[in-house]
Amino acid sequence: MKPNPLLALAVALSFIVPNASAATVAPGDTLAENQDIDLWLLDDIKTLDPQKSASVGDSDAIRQLFEGLYSQAANGDLVPGVATGHEVSADGLIWTFHLRPEATWSNGDPVTAQDFVYAWRRLVDPETASEKASALTDLKVKNAKAVIDGKLPPAELGVRAIDAHTLEVTLDQPIPHGYMIASVTNTNTFPAPRAVIETYGDAWTQPGHLIGNGAYSLVEHRIGQKIVLKRNPRYRDDAHTIVKSVTFHVINEENQALTRFRAGELDVSPIPSGQYPRLKEKYPDQVYKKPRACTYAYVFNLSLKGPEALKDVRVRKGLSLAIDRSIITDNILKGGQIPAYSWTPPSMAGFKAPDIDYSHWSQAERVAKAENLLKQAGYGPDHPLKLTISYNTSEAHKKIAVAIQQFWKAIGVETRLENMEWKVFTDRLHKHEYEVGRYAICAGVDNAIDMLSFFKSTDSLNPTGFASADYDRLMNDVLTATDPNIDYDQAEHTLADKMPIAPIYFYTSNGMVKPDIRGFPVQNVLNFFYVRNMYRVVK
Amino acid sequence: MIRYIFRRLGHAIPVMLILIVFSFVIMHLAPGGPFTRERALPPQVLANINAKYGLDQPLWKQTLDYLWGIVVHFDFGPSFVYTDQSVNSIIAQGFPITLTYGTISGVVAIAVGVTLGAVAAIRHNSWLDSLAVGVSVTAQVLPNFVMAPILVVIFTLWLHWLPGGGFEGLLSPAYWIMPVIALSTSYMASIARMMRSSMLEVMNQNHIRTARAKGLAMRRIVMKHALKPALLPVISYLGPAFVGMITGSVVIDMYFSTGGIGKFFVDSALNRDYAVMMGITVLLGGLTIVFNLLVDILYAWIDPKIRY
Amino acid sequence: MASLAQALVETGEKGHSPWSDARVRFCKNRQGLVGLALMGFVLAFAIFGSFAAHWPIDKIDFQVMGDVAREGGPSLTNGHFFGTDELGRDLFARTILGIRISLAVGLVGTLIAVIVGTVYGAASGYAGGRVDNIMMRAVDILLSIPSMFVLILLLVMFGHSIILLFIGIGLLSWLDMSRIVRGQTLSLKQREYIEAARASGVPAQTIIRRHIVPNLLSIVIVYATLLVPGMILAESFISFLGLGVQEPLTSLGALISQGAATMNYGTLWQLLFPLFFFIVTLFAFFFLGDGLRDALDPKDR
Repeated sequence: MKPNPLLALAVALSFIVPNASAATVAPGDTLAENQDIDLWLLDDIKTLDPQKSASVGDSDAIRQLFEGLYSQAANGDLVPGVATGHEVSADGLIWTFHLRPEATWSNGDPVTAQDFVYAWRRLVDPETASEKASALTDLKVKNAKAVIDGKLPPAELGVRAIDAHTLEVTLDQPIPHGYMIASVTNTNTFPAPRAVIETYGDAWTQPGHLIGNGAYSLVEHRIGQKIVLKRNPRYRDDAHTIVKSVTFHVINEENQALTRFRAGELDVSPIPSGQYPRLKEKYPDQVYKKPRACTYAYVFNLSLKGPEALKDVRVRKGLSLAIDRSIITDNILKGGQIPAYSWTPPSMAGFKAPDIDYSHWSQAERVAKAENLLKQAGYGPDHPLKLTISYNTSEAHKKIAVAIQQFWKAIGVETRLENMEWKVFTDRLHKHEYEVGRYAICAGVDNAIDMLSFFKSTDSLNPTGFASADYDRLMNDVLTATDPNIDYDQAEHTLADKMPIAPIYFYTSNGMVKPDIRGFPVQNVLNFFYVRNMYRVVK
Repeated sequence: MIRYIFRRLGHAIPVMLILIVFSFVIMHLAPGGPFTRERALPPQVLANINAKYGLDQPLWKQTLDYLWGIVVHFDFGPSFVYTDQSVNSIIAQGFPITLTYGTISGVVAIAVGVTLGAVAAIRHNSWLDSLAVGVSVTAQVLPNFVMAPILVVIFTLWLHWLPGGGFEGLLSPAYWIMPVIALSTSYMASIARMMRSSMLEVMNQNHIRTARAKGLAMRRIVMKHALKPALLPVISYLGPAFVGMITGSVVIDMYFSTGGIGKFFVDSALNRDYAVMMGITVLLGGLTIVFNLLVDILYAWIDPKIRY
Repeated sequence: MASLAQALVETGEKGHSPWSDARVRFCKNRQGLVGLALMGFVLAFAIFGSFAAHWPIDKIDFQVMGDVAREGGPSLTNGHFFGTDELGRDLFARTILGIRISLAVGLVGTLIAVIVGTVYGAASGYAGGRVDNIMMRAVDILLSIPSMFVLILLLVMFGHSIILLFIGIGLLSWLDMSRIVRGQTLSLKQREYIEAARASGVPAQTIIRRHIVPNLLSIVIVYATLLVPGMILAESFISFLGLGVQEPLTSLGALISQGAATMNYGTLWQLLFPLFFFIVTLFAFFFLGDGLRDALDPKDR
């Protein structure tokens, strides 16, 4: 479609919601004296450099220290950040973002369009060697690929500052509006303070050096223990920020984190696998549950190195049908996860979930069908199908693998379980040295393309070895489609038809929050949170 | 003696070299690299990263560069996972912590273990003896990954006496009491058992029997004649105990968020964070060598029969 | 280990040898007898317990798996005598399997350590001089390597297999064994009767076989008995890190670490049953080892 400039303008205007991102104290709430918050991190921060960050924990901290063009509200809606609005050219190739003049860095310098230009160039610069460099090729930013490949200097990247407060991004081809906007809430696209980076080099993210434009600034980072942030008085909207300091505690053991939460040392806590119902009963006011844009699946190796049996679609379908997903979600995980019969999480923005036939069958019907399919494929009691399930070391993966072994045993498939340490597992998966493996992917951007493009043959990122020209075409068409859901639906049906993976469940993220904390996002599917939206009330 | 010490330290150099090369090679042979991801990185992006960290060089060159960095600059390189940190800074932050709670645990284990063992031996076959044996055998077999969560439930959740994690240095004992209990208990128990049996043996020797027959005060006999020889097996146990405590610190760091290097070691091996793993291996290997040397010197000092 | 004690007993029958003295001393040793009894109990449970189990080790009881805390407790009616694990698998059957695997790791590992350590130590001690010096220096070098970390590296690199676990744990423990054996060999070598044998032209091989090895046996047995619990403990740490045996197999260490993770959530039996057998097993070895040492120690008491 030709993007309609009027539509683009309308979208831009919809962002002008005054103070939508600040903590607004609800009527009836009395603020507590203590406005310090203690949060939990599973692993320590790996980097606080926005362009280099690649892990969830890093992004959580960076979102407090820096602010991008747009942010997300507690429910996942987009709200203005440094940008107050934007326009898209009629051909969909030129995006112009308008930055607010009052935004400053924590040293008092203004945040300008040049800071974004510097950051985006830095992201793709081979010198930086960011593992997220391809974020800009995904957005089709002009010359991004060539810069990463070292064929053009970073200055040739399709992004420039028209003036101090106007940022222009040029694309090679149009992309869906939502995809771009969702992407600029990701930390990799956040601005970077050039002067500081050039002074300190790789050490610029150390406490004392780090300059940010977010609501909080870095006080202390004790590796393996904690990271402490305090309110940044120079933040553009500091007047509406309530929480004074934030401490992220590194606790590698989830049960330990929960014990410390119960002892009052933490304000949030994870819920260890399988414990949701029990905690919900005991602490109904502290447990939350929200959909999360991730899918858990078993992948089949269809490549040349894979077993012959799995090249038969009947076998793959049979195996997928035999998995009793509701036992996994209701009896093993017990955290409100949703049985999955398709790939893209239905909770994703603007996505219409496909209607997959076998999702309506009863499990008995599925098992009967599965037995039938395996029989057709030539497997039976005298010629049993033998497979190895690989998974990486983790209590939850182990439980699911053990259960699936039992489901498959019921249709006469003999399986061996092979538990590998994470790196070995991932390496084998990408080298196609496995038979059946567990796999899970979380969307990085709240848009179905992010999930579905995974099976494109050109990206060669998916470990199944699945390749289909039709599928590739769909993924290309969807970028300019009027109603992308038609293409999404077709793509999902292709996957269900060829079954290179057996989808198992869609994630929920659940956890616990102290009852006196307000503004903790319990709807955001990407799990983004901004401490500046939170506050503590009198108990 | 001085010559002996220098000779021993001289032997340490080939040991360290073997250790470095062995770990370096085995590490790089292991499947997967520091940048192996569930969602594989695009090839050119990976190539840029490998170029930045020199991982595109042949293994022999990487090994040599690495050794050169250590010998000439005492620089162990950057962490591939904690990209904000260098190996030197990770060790500089984590090692003092491990050393602090490790030393306290060692002192506690030796002091309590020796006392318990000696008392049990002196009061041989009394209820005190049986109690000491029972307690120490139980304590010795209770894994620290069971003890650590139990301690936190009791002292943090129920009693609210101690913080459940973190580390604030030697002068804030509240933070290290639980780590020290969890780490030292099994070694304390081993030392107690060892001390008890060696003390029993010493007390049965002729000169002690004679002294007792002559009616010398028990306290004097123990302090003057029995304690020193009875300590010898305990001292030779300190080497293995030291290595065991380093292993145990992994659990401590995991459960008590102490920020020590034990957790970083296991993590770096699992994450293929080559440089961090190497740095910690070198550090721990060197420490083990020095510690074993100290133990031998102590042994020679206590046992007059040994001369170097 | 019971068979070992039995072997001691049988050897003792032949006459008034040091072994029969040892047997008498052992039988008077309360601690040693308690150890023997505990060992008998654990072995009997590991061997015959599976006849009493109502469930196979890997079968999931779908009746209880949804709410293990309420439904999965120890019960006589549904056949889960020790309750179930988090997945609804029978803990009774799994504990038996865990004991077997932990014992296997301990015993096979010890066997490897004993064989390698004894051969190496005896060779080094008997050769003496320069050879001895070099061989022992090599042991010193290996001792300064943090062995548990090497084992972790090996498991990471070659995958988690029970064979590697056996070999790895065994090979990391032979060092102390070899030192002890060497020391003993050195002192034996200087005994008059051996010197006499050598002087009268008895070949070295015969001396080692007839005089050295039998005299080493007692210290090797004692040390080996004390080595087993250390290996079982080492395996439990490996299992805690998730590098232990592959599902559906399990070990006591793996069961305990799972039980410890869920102990706050109303499923305490998942920790207590395996932990009980873990402790009893280790007690048995410690007591037995101490008893044997007292009995076999050549020093007069």
